[in-house]
Amino acid sequence: MTRQGYNRIMPPIIEIQRLTKTYEVYQKKEGLLASVQGLFRRDYKTVEAVRGIDLTVDQGEFVAFLGPNGAGKTTTLKLLSGVINPTSGNATVMGYVPWKRENGYRRRFALVMGQKNQLWWDLPAQDSFRLHQKIYRVDANEFQRTQDELTDLLDVRRLLNQPVRNLSLGERMKMELIAALLHSPEVLFLDEPTIGLDVVAQHNIQKFLKHYQAERKITVLLTSHYMKDIAALCQRVVVIAGGEIIYDGSLSGIIDRFGGHKIVTLQFEQEAVPGDLSRFGDVIEIQHPRAKIRVDRNAVGRVLGSILDQYELADVSVEDPPLEEVIAEVFSLSKGQSPEPAAIH
Amino acid sequence: MSSDRAAYWPVFFTFVRNSLIRDLSYRSNFVIECASSLSWVLMNLGFYLLIFTFTAEIGDGTGWKKYEFFVFLATTLFINSLMQTFFMPNAQEFSELIRTGRLDFALLKPIDTQFLISFQKVNWPSMSNFLFGLVLLSISLWNLTERPDQPLVITPYMVIAYPLFLLCGVGILYSLMIVLAATSIWLGRNQSLYDFWFYITSFSRYPMEIYQGGIGDTLRIIFTFAIPILVVVNVPARIMAKPLGISSSENVMLACFAVVATAGSILGSRWVFKRALLSYRSASS
Repeated sequence: MTRQGYNRIMPPIIEIQRLTKTYEVYQKKEGLLASVQGLFRRDYKTVEAVRGIDLTVDQGEFVAFLGPNGAGKTTTLKLLSGVINPTSGNATVMGYVPWKRENGYRRRFALVMGQKNQLWWDLPAQDSFRLHQKIYRVDANEFQRTQDELTDLLDVRRLLNQPVRNLSLGERMKMELIAALLHSPEVLFLDEPTIGLDVVAQHNIQKFLKHYQAERKITVLLTSHYMKDIAALCQRVVVIAGGEIIYDGSLSGIIDRFGGHKIVTLQFEQEAVPGDLSRFGDVIEIQHPRAKIRVDRNAVGRVLGSILDQYELADVSVEDPPLEEVIAEVFSLSKGQSPEPAAIH
Repeated sequence: MSSDRAAYWPVFFTFVRNSLIRDLSYRSNFVIECASSLSWVLMNLGFYLLIFTFTAEIGDGTGWKKYEFFVFLATTLFINSLMQTFFMPNAQEFSELIRTGRLDFALLKPIDTQFLISFQKVNWPSMSNFLFGLVLLSISLWNLTERPDQPLVITPYMVIAYPLFLLCGVGILYSLMIVLAATSIWLGRNQSLYDFWFYITSFSRYPMEIYQGGIGDTLRIIFTFAIPILVVVNVPARIMAKPLGISSSENVMLACFAVVATAGSILGSRWVFKRALLSYRSASS
């Protein structure tokens, strides 16, 4: 059965409806007097970390959550993991309501957090893995097979007996991933798994995740700040800002949707770039006889026509702006529209 | 993975094993910790030996003479060392897990969260006091059974009931500790956990007969019925030492109460723990 056929007859693996999470956050004022007053009376502000989001994810999808800090990405993953309870709304993952914390559900998914570690600091990772085997009740042979496979894929077999405190950040992250995957979860939530890692380590983890997901056909939700993670791994991107989903589609579709400009590169026949280019668009860069201008998407045809009428060009190209730039624009736009929820402490 | 039920014993043994490996990997720390807790016990013992050079009995007619009281002291050592070995490190860690948001991981596991956070660390050096308690109990019992006047006779009931009521005592103290630790979820931070624990439990370290008179009676009632820490050591110690001043019917009543108090404490603390988890907010990533 093809994956498409499989998807068509299977209900979505993750279904989220109007999911909302609000926090009461203590507003601490500055100064000693205010701190003393705070002992008796406290002002709380309601922060909407997640505002009524709807989302459906099919089995085998690799979905990225993209958004600025405090957008609600991690809160959504924590809600789906059952770590916190929602304020309102519904969600099911594989038919389970996550915050009921049923063992049946908890055996079938995993959450990896790049900023928090669960392995025993003073012990070799192997000992933590064995503990996971007991907690998840993984059969001894299956455990050995999975551990061998994962340690080989991530090239950390030689580090299994080294205390976790002596591992590098990248090696530790690999061990965290193995710990999370030992019980062969069907759904995997990854919260910034490559944060703080160098380029090589990031690349290794990306490669592993891509391979593992393709092999096992598991469903993965990933949050990351690294565009490279997302470009390498995910076919589908969900942009969250201010606790709301503002985009759901392919990565390249973000440019079509939000990229209001095109970058036009002009190579003039004459030696110097004309001085009055700014009337056609924002001049980004001039390297005589070449110039780059940012032109409103809808005006590209008209602007090119006028330029060709007035100047002799050796070459011309029209490109989309870099993805990072478009996303940064989307983020700053969303911040302007709605207050950014503060980090929860 | 045939059923949803978690396998608690294998997980517990893995905790025990992993903790021992960890403790032994810091050899000097292990030895120093054993030595420091033993020296604290020896100082206490010296202090009580000193007291018994001034008096033959704690409270006239109570029957808590020197060796009866040392049975009491050994009982305190057993209970405290079990608490410090199994629960104290976990309660302190629990507070930290909440503050840092690492409790997330415990909530993800397909096993009871209270079990997981209560047993995951075992502090083996604290067991040195347990061993010392065994020595102290043996010497005291030998003296009591060998005394010329009404020598103590150790019955099968005592041998069975003593460890069971020790466990009841541990159950009551554990419940108190988990309630105190769970308040960290609401308070965000509860650094005074250990201090508060020390203040409260220090009342349990003496025979309950000393709580007499206006203040004494009030304290006895509070620490028997509201926070039942007085029965923690007193019940097993009375079973084993059989101080002559206390009637056996009173002992039976108190023992029955201890069973009820243990069940009530454990159920109550379980309820508080579950309520507290509902309020868990995690910490930002």
